[in-house]
Amino acid sequence: MTIAVTRPLPGIRAKHNLVPAGRIALGIAFLAVWQLGSNVMGREWLPGPADTLARIWELAASGQLGRDTLVTFGEAAVGMILGGAAGAALPFLLRLSPRLMTALDPLISAAFGVPKLALAPLFILWFGIGVTTKVVFVASIVFFLLFYNGLAGILSVDQRLVSMLRVAGASEWVISREVVWNTTKPFLFSGLKIALPRALSGAVVGEFIAADAGLGWYIQHARSINDTTGVVAGAVIVTVLVIAVNAALQRVQARSLAWRPIAKDMAI
Amino acid sequence: MSAAAPMLEVKGLAKRFPPRSGQEESPWILADLSFHVSDQEFLTMVGPSGAGKSTLLNIIAQVDGASEGEIFFRGELIETANGAALSPGWNCQIGYVTQDDNLLPWRTLIDNVTLPLKVQGRYDKAAMQRVDDLLRATNLVGFERYYPHELSGGMRKRASLIRTLAYDPPIILMDEPFGAVDAQTRTQLQQDLLRLWNLGRKTIVFVTHDIGEAIALGDRVLVMSKSPAKIVADHRVDIKRPRDLGNLYKLEGFGDMFETVRREIQ
Repeated sequence: MTIAVTRPLPGIRAKHNLVPAGRIALGIAFLAVWQLGSNVMGREWLPGPADTLARIWELAASGQLGRDTLVTFGEAAVGMILGGAAGAALPFLLRLSPRLMTALDPLISAAFGVPKLALAPLFILWFGIGVTTKVVFVASIVFFLLFYNGLAGILSVDQRLVSMLRVAGASEWVISREVVWNTTKPFLFSGLKIALPRALSGAVVGEFIAADAGLGWYIQHARSINDTTGVVAGAVIVTVLVIAVNAALQRVQARSLAWRPIAKDMAI
Repeated sequence: MSAAAPMLEVKGLAKRFPPRSGQEESPWILADLSFHVSDQEFLTMVGPSGAGKSTLLNIIAQVDGASEGEIFFRGELIETANGAALSPGWNCQIGYVTQDDNLLPWRTLIDNVTLPLKVQGRYDKAAMQRVDDLLRATNLVGFERYYPHELSGGMRKRASLIRTLAYDPPIILMDEPFGAVDAQTRTQLQQDLLRLWNLGRKTIVFVTHDIGEAIALGDRVLVMSKSPAKIVADHRVDIKRPRDLGNLYKLEGFGDMFETVRREIQ
């Protein structure tokens, strides 16, 4: 009996290893299908994993990978911070005036509906072809994602907790910090989870339109000279970047929302 | 402020909520309700479900406003129906233990209990000692670092109770605080409450729909009618303390009073 208690059953351990093993198997299967597709279609049409990796290695060795990644990442980060901070802060301000919230709601919905890509020529006209245009482009996408998630958080604040704290002598500032902020935080994390990949792809798309550096510029340049390996390599680099950023966010979220009973179950 | 003034006095209190669309006049929840509580008295109020008991306590705690009437605290007028701004908790003088425990889910038990003291800027040595004593008295020692969702229902109730006791308001309102727990836990919680009350002798207004609980805990039982609620009877409970809450029917005079209240409540 004691053996069964102190050591996990073999079946349980096998189940534990099932997920990582499955991931590796899926990864290998994906690479195999990719290589097979490349062989069938020809490497000019679909460069295989080996060619792609060789290109990424080449780019890394020449220093271009670092340079272009830094440009794209920098545009996405600054746009994310500006647009994200504004989008997250606005619901907290609107909470103070329900009338302003009602008044602004249709305007914000309309602005959300405007296709940002269609405005790209205007952005270039106003901000040039440098990094500013991409930052504005990213910020204009990210702002709404955080605004709507933050608003949903603010609207879900439990008024009973607010009343309880008021009776116990808490100021409105303490209530904002304690109840409103902590209720809204999980919503903002959901917003970030969608917004971070969008910020990166927003920067890349911005570089497609007009740029002289960055991963989007590299992909666009490769496309213009029929360098399919360059296109695929660029796409892979952006994907890896998105995965890395997501993993970092997951860590921050797990630490910040440790109190939640569902924090573990909800991890995707 | 005269010495003879009761701790809390409610005069001619009435309440109805603003009419919903399509409704001509909303019904009265409370009508011409008057009573008083003396210093260190344990007052229980018993009434049928939906009698407006929570509404009454919300008004006294100034979470909600009155439609008519006045409320005095130690002889001082603290609330009227004139539409003046409410002051929830009347400057931390009126504590309120609600039906739900209303613990902050993102704070540990100890942080929840000490939060009122901290926001009031009173979390000093003496307060820490007091919190320690309360945790010990309610068997919560060892669970200080647990989040509310990791605690049992009874533990959450006790935490919510001592959160208010810890900052020591002179009067505490309790709205069926032991409603949603099983019978055994409930008896234990009631016993805990009486013991804590015996240590500090606060003024308590305890609202419940459970006749047995009202008689078992109170110095005085007020019987409320169906909505619109009024006070229909006022009984002094002469059962001597300490009371054994595990055996209510063995308490002298309990059975007769239970019958009387049961008839009045209908």
